[in-house]
Parts: sequence; C-alpha cells; structure tokens
Amino acid sequence: MSSVSGRYAIVGVGTSRFGKLQGVSTMGFTLEASKRAIEDAGIGRDAIDGVLVMMPAIMGEQHGWAARVAGYLGLEPTFSATMDLGGATACGSVQTAMAAIDAGYCTAVLCCFATQNWPQGVAMQLFGSEFQVPYGDVGALTLMGHIKRRQMHEHGYTEAQYGQIAVTWRAHARDNPEAQMQKPMTLEQYLASRWVVEPLRLFDCCPNTDGGGACIVTSLERARDLKQKPARILGAGQTHATEIIHPNGRDPERLSGSRAADQVYAMAGVQPADVDCAQLYDAFTPRVMHDLVAYGFCAPGEAGAFVEAGQVTHGGSLPCNTAGGLISEGHLSGFGHIREAVRQVRGTAAARQVPDCELCLVTGYGGAPHEAPPTVSYSALLLGRD
Amino acid sequence: MFGAIEKPLPRPSEDSAPFWEAALRGELRMQRCGGCGHVRFPPSLLCPRCLSEAAEWVALSGRGTVYSWVVVHQSQHPAFNPDAPYNVVIIQLDEGPRLHGNLVGTPNQEIHIGMPVEVVFDKVSDDTALVRWKRA
Repeated sequence: MSSVSGRYAIVGVGTSRFGKLQGVSTMGFTLEASKRAIEDAGIGRDAIDGVLVMMPAIMGEQHGWAARVAGYLGLEPTFSATMDLGGATACGSVQTAMAAIDAGYCTAVLCCFATQNWPQGVAMQLFGSEFQVPYGDVGALTLMGHIKRRQMHEHGYTEAQYGQIAVTWRAHARDNPEAQMQKPMTLEQYLASRWVVEPLRLFDCCPNTDGGGACIVTSLERARDLKQKPARILGAGQTHATEIIHPNGRDPERLSGSRAADQVYAMAGVQPADVDCAQLYDAFTPRVMHDLVAYGFCAPGEAGAFVEAGQVTHGGSLPCNTAGGLISEGHLSGFGHIREAVRQVRGTAAARQVPDCELCLVTGYGGAPHEAPPTVSYSALLLGRD
Repeated sequence: MFGAIEKPLPRPSEDSAPFWEAALRGELRMQRCGGCGHVRFPPSLLCPRCLSEAAEWVALSGRGTVYSWVVVHQSQHPAFNPDAPYNVVIIQLDEGPRLHGNLVGTPNQEIHIGMPVEVVFDKVSDDTALVRWKRA
C-alpha cells in the first residue's frame, strides 16, 4: 500500500457559490465547482479522463449521475463512478482516484459533489428505518444527540467544552470571507442557544448548505508541470463501521474510525504528532471530540480538556478547521475541508495560514447512521507540502 | 383543507413481519440464531456473527436499561411536531441487543442512563403496535 504514498497529488480545488441558495440545480452547482477546480489546476479539460461524483442528496436524479456530469462538462472519461459514502465521500473519492490512476484506467480524475437541500421533506422521508422513524427518530440529529449524551456520560465532557469548539470555528470563519457564519460568537451565546435534540444545541450543528465542491487528482509528475504547488497525497484510509448505538453493541475499547486512522498514518509513515493542522469532519461538535481521539491526538476521554486548553486554535498544538469547518464555513460535505487542506499545504491560506504547514489531516464521516443497524463510513487523507 | 399529516408506521418486510406480529400480540420477540445462539437484531436472513440462516423467534424478557436518551425539541418530520419536546431512548436489552423507542409515563427530566425499564405495547392502528418503554 505504501507504494502509492506521495506519488499522486491534488492539483486543483474549487467550490460553487454556497449558502442558502435554493433554486439552483444540483447539476448547476456540480458544474460550477468543477469548472473552478479545473481553472485552479490550470489543467487542460481534455486531460481529465476520470470522473467520480458523490451521489446527490436528493434522489431521483441519481441514474448515471457521474456520466451525466462528464457529459455536461464535455468530457469523455475512460473511468467513472457515482460514489455513496455520504460525508465520507470527499476523502474516499480521492483515494479511489489514486487507485484508478495507479491501475492505469485513467490519468487525471475530477472528484466532485453538490447538494440542493430543497425539497428537504423528500430527503427526510428517505432517512431512517422502521425501527426508528415510527418513534419520531428521524435524520442525523438524534444520532448526534445520543453520541453527545454518551460522550458526556463516559468522559465527563462539559457543555463549555463543546461550546469551545463552536466558538473557535466561528473565530476561524471570521478570517474566511466565504464562510456562511460570520457573526462573532461567545461561549455565553453558545450556552444560551436553544436545544435542537437535547443535549445537542443549535450551535453544535452545521447550517444546511446548498452548493458543491470539487478537486482534481493526478500523478505527482504531471502535477509539477501545472499551475499550483501540488498537494501530495501521502496517506489515505477508510473504515466502514457500526456506530455506538449498534443494536449488538461494539467494543468500547476501539473507537469507530480508528482503522482508517491506522491506515492513513501507516501509508504516510507518520505519527499524529507530525501533523501540523487538521480539518475534522464536524457536521456536529461531538464528531470533533470523537476524531481527536480516533486519530490519535488525545488519549481516550481527554478530548474535552484538549479543546478547552485551546489546542485546536491557531497557536495551539493542532489548529483545526481553519476555515470555520462545516459548522461555520458551511456543509460542503467535506470538499471544503479538502480545499482548505490544499491551501494550507500550498501556503496560500492567507490570514488563516498555519505557519510552516507541511502536513494536514482531513477526515470524512457519513453514511447510514439512521438505519438499522446504524452504520457509518470513515475516511481520511494526509496531504503534504511538495 | 389538508388533513393532519399521519405519522409513518412500519411496513413490515418478510424479515421483520414476525417482530411486528408479535408486538401486536403483546410480545417482544427477536430471532435467536440456530447456529451460535446470538440474539439477532435487526431481523435478518442471516446471523451477523456466524452467517447461519437458521433462527427461531423467541420471546424476550422485555426488560432492559436506558443506554442513551435525547429530547427532540426540533422535530425532523412534520407529523411529530405537535409532540415536541419528546424523548427518544435507546434501550440496552437484558438479552444483548439495543432497541430504539420512546419512554412513556416519566417526565423527560427524570430519565437517566442506567434506568431500569420494561416494555409496553402501544396499539396505534388495527394492525400495528409500537414497542415503547416504561420505568420498571
């Protein structure tokens, strides 16, 4: 597996307009983001011969989705797939792109996604099993509420520690002109925010975001001839695992996602202590507590104190979610995290730049947590400066 | 005018029908694997531990403890809006599996992890009874 480490790179990143933008089509967002990633890379459109697209959130448009995206972009790829790892797709698609290039199926791959949250009601109907929905247990919020409840019960994490995550990301978003959530937020405002699914507060959650994101993967050799400094893909990993509420329980000593962590570090040949900054999948604050432990930055149970000590802020030992994260930049399903990580290792993150950033971890999370049994996919990338 | 939006009810499959048929009779039943004895949930054609297809539907004690609980203030389905704030609990059954549901008859603020509970059956239509929980 180590043979592909560092041999491929992300050469272009882009997003569409994003925010509350109902009325723009999923395809429209996908094309906008893809075009910007192509422009960012400075790669000829004819050079792109692989297309990987995340399954759109709204069903009904999904048939042949990747091939349709290619068609709209005027591409005739030799490799394509519509991927479905939920919020784990962004990192997962980059890993698949590397594998496809390595196999000789194609040479440069566009990975892209978009979502249009309207009509939300339709999407919600699709979430959940017959063993959950009849009890009013619908969508991801209840799962995240349960995860926060169990974390607080098992580790003594405090409300203020979760609040510190939300407040820190908001401060980071203030240096990102594109972020959706720009108003300053204090811990007091977090603690006064309403319950959504108690113990989950409004500011534990990311906003709904309409929009899309894209990136382009090719060989390091070709990357070095393109416009931008390559972001080398040093490691990639996945786990497809059950969640804490799995009806058959799970080994509490082994956190979901830790196999993805083992893979990503082994492939890159680095340790958590080598990582300069991280973009952690944070649709909800309890996810951050989880990843800080699963990816080896804290001992089990110590994520709350780590956050409280300011370690995830600029100037801390591990600046995280430097563009504001899903919670404050917006929910670009992990493509925003890839874009920010690429900027960090290129050294082009402007006011958000982590000094001398050589290595950035990106994590993804998503899947079918509201099904029975609840399962989720974890994915991760380690990007390095060239 | 439009009528009230109806709450979604289970539409049992071949796999899950025995669970819901038992609930309608006032019994909590799950599959016990004929290969390894694992109590299997959700219902499935095969055992996730040993892949055996053999199973019998056995009656459970209907007892367990609260593993986790949340209070939904912002419902994600319009039919549940009038109920908010309402609880969703995960019950750790004495026999092993965990099951989602609602805890009835106890104020939300008195629910806690580890609280002993027992099953109740709530007949919500002619052919459906939901599995809920009350303080034991």
